[in-house]
Amino acid sequence: MSAVITAQDLRKTYRYASRRGGVLGAIGGAFAPDYKLIEAVDGVSFEIAAGERVAIIGPNGAGKSTTLKMLSGVLEPTSGEASVFGFTPWAQRKALAYRIGVVFGQRSQLWGELPARDSFALLGHIYDQRGAAFDRRLQALIERFELGALMDQPVQRMSLGQRMRCEITASLLHAPSLLFLDEPTIGLDITAKAAIRDFITQNARAEGQTVVLTSHDTRDIELVCDRVIVINRGRIVVDQPTDQLRRRFLAHKLVTLHAPSRSVRIDLPGVTRRPSEPHLAVFEIDTRKVRVEQALAAALDGGGIEDITIEDPPMEEVVREIYAVARD
Amino acid sequence: MRSMPSLAIDARPAGFGALRSALAAVRLGAGGAMAGWPVLLGRSGFYVLLMIVLTALWDKVTTERLPGTLVAALPAGGLALYIGVTEWIGLSVPAIHLRLEDDIRSGVVETHLLRPKAYLLQRFAESWGAMLVRMAATGAAALVMLVLSGRAWPTPPALAALVVLGPLGGTIGLLLFTIAGLSAFWVRRTVPAFLILQKMLFLLGGLFAPVTLYPAWLTRLAEATPFAAHMFWPASLTITPTAAQMAAALGAQLLWIGLLAGLATLIWRAGLAKVLRGEL
Amino acid sequence: MTRTSLLENYAHGAAAAVRASFADRTNFLLQSLSMVVNNGFMLVLWFMFFAGFRSVGGWRLADMALLIGIIMSIVGVAGIVFGGYRDMAATILSGEIDALLTQPRSVLARLLARDSYPSAWGDLGTAVVILIAFAGLSWRDLPWFAAGWVSGLIVYIAAAVSFASLAFWISGARSLARDMTEWVILVSTYPGSIYSGASKLIAYTLLPAGFVVLTPVRLLRHPSLETLAVVVAAAAVYAAIAAGAFDLGLRRYRQGATPVMGA
Repeated sequence: MSAVITAQDLRKTYRYASRRGGVLGAIGGAFAPDYKLIEAVDGVSFEIAAGERVAIIGPNGAGKSTTLKMLSGVLEPTSGEASVFGFTPWAQRKALAYRIGVVFGQRSQLWGELPARDSFALLGHIYDQRGAAFDRRLQALIERFELGALMDQPVQRMSLGQRMRCEITASLLHAPSLLFLDEPTIGLDITAKAAIRDFITQNARAEGQTVVLTSHDTRDIELVCDRVIVINRGRIVVDQPTDQLRRRFLAHKLVTLHAPSRSVRIDLPGVTRRPSEPHLAVFEIDTRKVRVEQALAAALDGGGIEDITIEDPPMEEVVREIYAVARD
Repeated sequence: MRSMPSLAIDARPAGFGALRSALAAVRLGAGGAMAGWPVLLGRSGFYVLLMIVLTALWDKVTTERLPGTLVAALPAGGLALYIGVTEWIGLSVPAIHLRLEDDIRSGVVETHLLRPKAYLLQRFAESWGAMLVRMAATGAAALVMLVLSGRAWPTPPALAALVVLGPLGGTIGLLLFTIAGLSAFWVRRTVPAFLILQKMLFLLGGLFAPVTLYPAWLTRLAEATPFAAHMFWPASLTITPTAAQMAAALGAQLLWIGLLAGLATLIWRAGLAKVLRGEL
Repeated sequence: MTRTSLLENYAHGAAAAVRASFADRTNFLLQSLSMVVNNGFMLVLWFMFFAGFRSVGGWRLADMALLIGIIMSIVGVAGIVFGGYRDMAATILSGEIDALLTQPRSVLARLLARDSYPSAWGDLGTAVVILIAFAGLSWRDLPWFAAGWVSGLIVYIAAAVSFASLAFWISGARSLARDMTEWVILVSTYPGSIYSGASKLIAYTLLPAGFVVLTPVRLLRHPSLETLAVVVAAAAVYAAIAAGAFDLGLRRYRQGATPVMGA
């Protein structure tokens, strides 16, 4: 398999003028600003082969979006090199644009007041897609993603999940062979998230597309991607196949039990209790050793439990764990 | 049956309490306006630009002295000072109508009703505080321009009177915009009321030209409106700096402040009744 | 794959923006009609003014009507077809151009075409009536009018784009750019004869009302090849400044030096 994307020692340093308060401070700052340097991306290198589905994950501010913006031609790096389909993204952005589709989860490329159909037609023009071929492709996408009922609705009246389906469809209209998705599931509820994940996987499989997505939600990667790059403070901390990462670092669930009247205990291997507020019992469950329902059954046995939540550990914790393993 | 002890807090602000919280609101508004100093600076810049254009216009007309035109009715020194005062007052009045519209349309007004403060008085006092700061900033710009332009100054008594009549005029403007803002209880958007008000200020308020240039009947009509009390009356001191004119201006302003404050209160109560009936 | 031309693409984008502005009919009617009333009122004030004073440095009512007709029609067409100019600084600061940068098109053209304002139709409507009824124009003036008007439109939008480009450098440029564009309109709505010295300098440089309306009016009242040359040159110079400022700013943006919100 040939590499679609190569990134070599990519760096992006932002320079901020730190502000001083008040009128005099602001005037002084205009003449002799104090600069702060922030290494948003601090020497990142990787290769992505055709057809791979890769997630770049990390906590907020880790440098995920900046990396994606450099690869899609939006941002110029401070130093380092990258090649996408043989193009240098920031130098040849228009030529590259025909080959890639990009979705920024927090920005819309659709007209809110107009039906989705109108925005799709306009994007067709922007990407020089016209005539019967474009109509056929649009129809195929509408069928694949079941958008028929939404097509004539103004985008601003859609739910966030419906809108995101339309955003992704919009980015696929010119049949790009590489799709960049920046936080495609941000702000969505669980059902909508699942629908978007299916949507991305299904399409990538059908068209053999290369997908690169960023997320701070560990669950996004499991369903969509076969490879995960974990990035923190601008550096890659882990780059491995998803199964491997899942086995090593994502094998935990957090179960919180609300039991005001008694103290709950779960005496099973792979279950550890975490410190918590009174009335709450928080257990970390190693799913390689015990199934979540087994642990729950053991907890529920004594009665007196009023509420239960099951969560994945937050991204920050996964990163901390990766560091801990790397150090050993 | 023994009655329950009352836990209700007396929600009516009374006497000095109301005054104290209104004064606090004035300070709050003034502080807010001062914190937004780039905006103050921008507004002063706008004032300067506006004055450059408008004085150029009136100076041209005054120096041209075409026979058979209204030029004869203009003061010898032109209208620069007059325009300077109307724009000083006009640019200093905060857009309280937008604030009220926001609160009424978003339903925020209902949460304010839970507090033991008179909402309208509080909002008005806040905007009034901001207005004073704006007047100081724009006024400073006006004085600097006056020094640089080398024009004749207003007479000292007129200048002293303006320190009082200017803010009073601003208060009338603020009351007018408050009434425009309260229209949001009935029509949701205050833009129509604002546009009508703005037109009245141009035509009857003397923002376009001194109302004394109009035909006699229109002059009398304009002078009798609150719009003139907002801008024309204080600005007229730059043309007719007499004690009689000052007294007339002060009288018109105090009368209209009383009437408009009463009207705003009545409209507010009617709007409030609408809220309490759940019709908003 | 055939490449669509810039013009054709722009037309599609602007048409979408216009359709979007029609989406709420009541709002469209309300906004465009209130602009007509608004403009009509200002016209009445000028009628009153010229009834009282007859002339301002040689400018008569018909000249004033011509001036107002030109600036209103320029603001009208700009608001309908290039409406993105009005909030461009805010758009830049909100980081919305990221998505446009991933498309194979000129970012500036996409930005200009992204909005269209209902009130602009009111401006255009009033302007047409004023130009036909009060400006004292005849059909023979048409070529001069076309040249002057197009040049004025270019200078106006170029000025607005240059102001908006400040947003690439200053985060406070949002209101500054809007205000400065409004000021160009303000300076453009008074008889040209009133400007002299410093005010004239400003009107022909920073707030180029001089080239938006005053030279086009001169071209129509005293047609000459010289004035035509000035008009054309002004359009070229201001367009070049705007394109340069935007390009430089966009380069800065792509280096990550623009203070974008939420980045």
